[in-house]
Amino acid sequence: MIKKIFLIIKNNMLLTVLVGVLVGLLSSWILYEGLHRTSDDKFCVVCHEMKPMVAAYHNDVHGGAGKIGIKVTCVTCHLPHDNVFAYIATKARNGAVEGAIHFFGNVDAIDWQANRANRAHFVKDEACVGCHTNYKTNEAISEQGRKMHAHYDSLKDTAKEISCASCHVEVGHKGLRSMLNYYKPEYEYYKGKLDKKKEEAEKKLAEELKK
Amino acid sequence: MRSKKTLLALGFFLILGVMSLVGSEVNASSPQLKITPELKEKFTLKPHHEKLSFKCVDCHEGQGDDPENFKAIDDKGCLSCHKTKQYLADRLKFMDNLHTNPHNSIHDGPKLYCDECHFEHKKSDNMCLSCHSNDVKLWMRPTP
Ligand code: HEC
Ligand code: HEC
Ligand code: HEC
Ligand code: HEC
Ligand code: HEC
Ligand code: HEC
Ligand code: HEC
Ligand code: HEC
Repeated sequence: MIKKIFLIIKNNMLLTVLVGVLVGLLSSWILYEGLHRTSDDKFCVVCHEMKPMVAAYHNDVHGGAGKIGIKVTCVTCHLPHDNVFAYIATKARNGAVEGAIHFFGNVDAIDWQANRANRAHFVKDEACVGCHTNYKTNEAISEQGRKMHAHYDSLKDTAKEISCASCHVEVGHKGLRSMLNYYKPEYEYYKGKLDKKKEEAEKKLAEELKK
Repeated sequence: MRSKKTLLALGFFLILGVMSLVGSEVNASSPQLKITPELKEKFTLKPHHEKLSFKCVDCHEGQGDDPENFKAIDDKGCLSCHKTKQYLADRLKFMDNLHTNPHNSIHDGPKLYCDECHFEHKKSDNMCLSCHSNDVKLWMRPTP
């Protein structure tokens, strides 16, 4: 049997190559579709615990609130881009892990404000640099800004490495901390007193997602 | 004719190369500071700045090369990295609903000086405490 297939392949090299290419193209297209559909705000917000992040995203220049109206997809900033396989692997892992917590764990107990301290790990600098390519030399950035960017570069690949998001807090999600507080106040004193703000945010979110 | 053009191009790139070298030189040449371990011990940074590996001159800019003679930095120093007082007020916007935002005080708006509350090399304070000694700890965390 195996020998037979081998023979067919040997005798029809061209055909085999063609079929191979076709299968390759088809599967990458399916993969592309799958990845793409699961890349934007409409997909990510399927889980209610992602709501405050998506709401704050809509208020940010990266989420369509700027003058030029650019909308950077969620996974541009949140998944590695250097390698397609790493991309798919993280994607699968994220999906699996997040999905598992969602269905078996208590998602309402997650302390999102505390989790922000890990931002260097879940925000990918390659994405920022991919668009802000001249962050080192751009004369429009203040002198202190350029000094800080040189500082960032000097720490790269050392034990003290920092990330774009170490300094640029709430990028991609303008007013993230406040939005998290509308959904679930950090301090006892605010509990039950910010519900109106949450309602407003939910209404706006629903409208944004209809667009 | 051809080699002349090549030479010209080469010269052009050489000049450009030297220029870019000079450019980067300017950035790197801050006054030679001697930061001894004792000095670092004496002027420890807050954890949020320490973990970003800031150097003394990132804050004490243009204050000479004797660390012992550094002076306090004013709001402008803080805002070279922290943008504007309005931006800082917005980061704590949720507090505005109950008028408890330290960066957007119900009495003074976003106008207070940073060092009415924040210190770098010693424990921070909070000026609101001087009148609201009991409530402040409910409204906000201890000043970082
Ligand atoms: C199945 C529900 C669900 C979906 C869909 C979902 N998330 Fe999440 N997400 C979660 C949960 C639950 C957590 C918290 C996981 C944890 O605590 O480690 C989380 C955490 C995160 C984090 C923080 C990661 C970290 O390491 O702390 C990021 C970033 C994130 N999600 C981005 C996204 C993006 C981008 C999408 C859309 C592509 C998305 N999520 C879709 C449920 C979901
Ligand atoms: C897809 C391209 C793209 C990516 C990826 C991207 N940006 Fe931007 N960014 C832009 C554009 C375009 C603007 C200007 C938007 C405007 O002014 O309307 C901008 C604006 C900014 C600004 C100034 C406005 C502000 O919010 O203060 C900062 C800072 C910034 N980006 C940092 C980052 C960081 C950090 C990352 C990575 C986490 C990042 N960007 C990822 C395209 C991008
Ligand atoms: C321009 C880059 C960018 C885009 C686009 C972006 N994010 Fe983020 N995201 C960030 C950064 C930076 C942080 C960390 C912010 C902070 O903590 O100050 C973050 C944080 C998060 C967190 C963790 C919040 C926490 O409290 O732990 C989640 C979840 C998240 N993003 C989901 C999303 C989703 C869903 C989308 C799409 C709707 C999205 N992000 C789009 C840059 C981005
Ligand atoms: C050590 C802190 C630090 C790090 C790390 C850092 N930046 Fe900045 N960045 C600044 C400061 C300070 C400014 C000037 C003040 C401002 O406008 O935010 C600035 C300004 C900018 C601006 C212009 C914003 C504007 O509104 O004019 C962009 C874009 C930017 N940075 C992108 C990046 C990117 C991309 C990275 C990662 C490669 C990065 N930064 C890493 C501190 C930092
Ligand atoms: C060289 C740039 C730089 C200067 C100058 C600077 N900071 Fe910061 N600071 C940062 C960065 C970057 C962070 C981390 C991101 C953030 O929270 O803004 C930070 C964080 C903080 C925090 C947040 C602590 C927390 O727990 O969230 C406080 C408070 C603070 N700085 C106060 C000050 C004050 C007051 C000054 C002036 C004396 C000052 N900073 C000067 C860069 C700077
Ligand atoms: C009235 C006292 C007061 C003044 C004045 C003040 N701060 Fe704060 N600041 C605080 C307190 C309290 C917090 C912590 C709030 C909390 O998280 O509950 C804080 C938090 C911060 C943070 C972190 C914000 C965040 O979202 O976690 C930064 C950065 C900061 N201050 C910088 C500054 C700078 C720069 C100035 C001067 C322009 C300044 N502050 C003036 C009391 C003050
Ligand atoms: C994040 C900004 C920042 C950095 C980095 C920083 N300082 Fe300071 N420094 C300040 C501020 C703000 C003051 C005012 C007093 C205070 O807040 O503790 C100050 C005050 C001083 C003073 C004057 C003290 C007095 O009593 O008048 C000296 C000396 C000093 N710093 C030395 C240093 C040395 C040495 C380093 C490096 C190891 C350093 N500083 C790093 C912000 C900074
Ligand atoms: C010089 C004394 C003084 C200082 C300093 C001060 N306050 Fe007040 N504050 C008062 C007085 C007097 C009232 C009005 C009487 C009352 O309601 O207790 C008041 C009222 C308030 C109220 C209640 C208003 C309302 O809407 O019900 C809040 C909230 C408040 N202050 C916040 C702050 C914050 C935040 C700070 C620090 C940035 C601060 N205060 C600093 C004296 C002060």
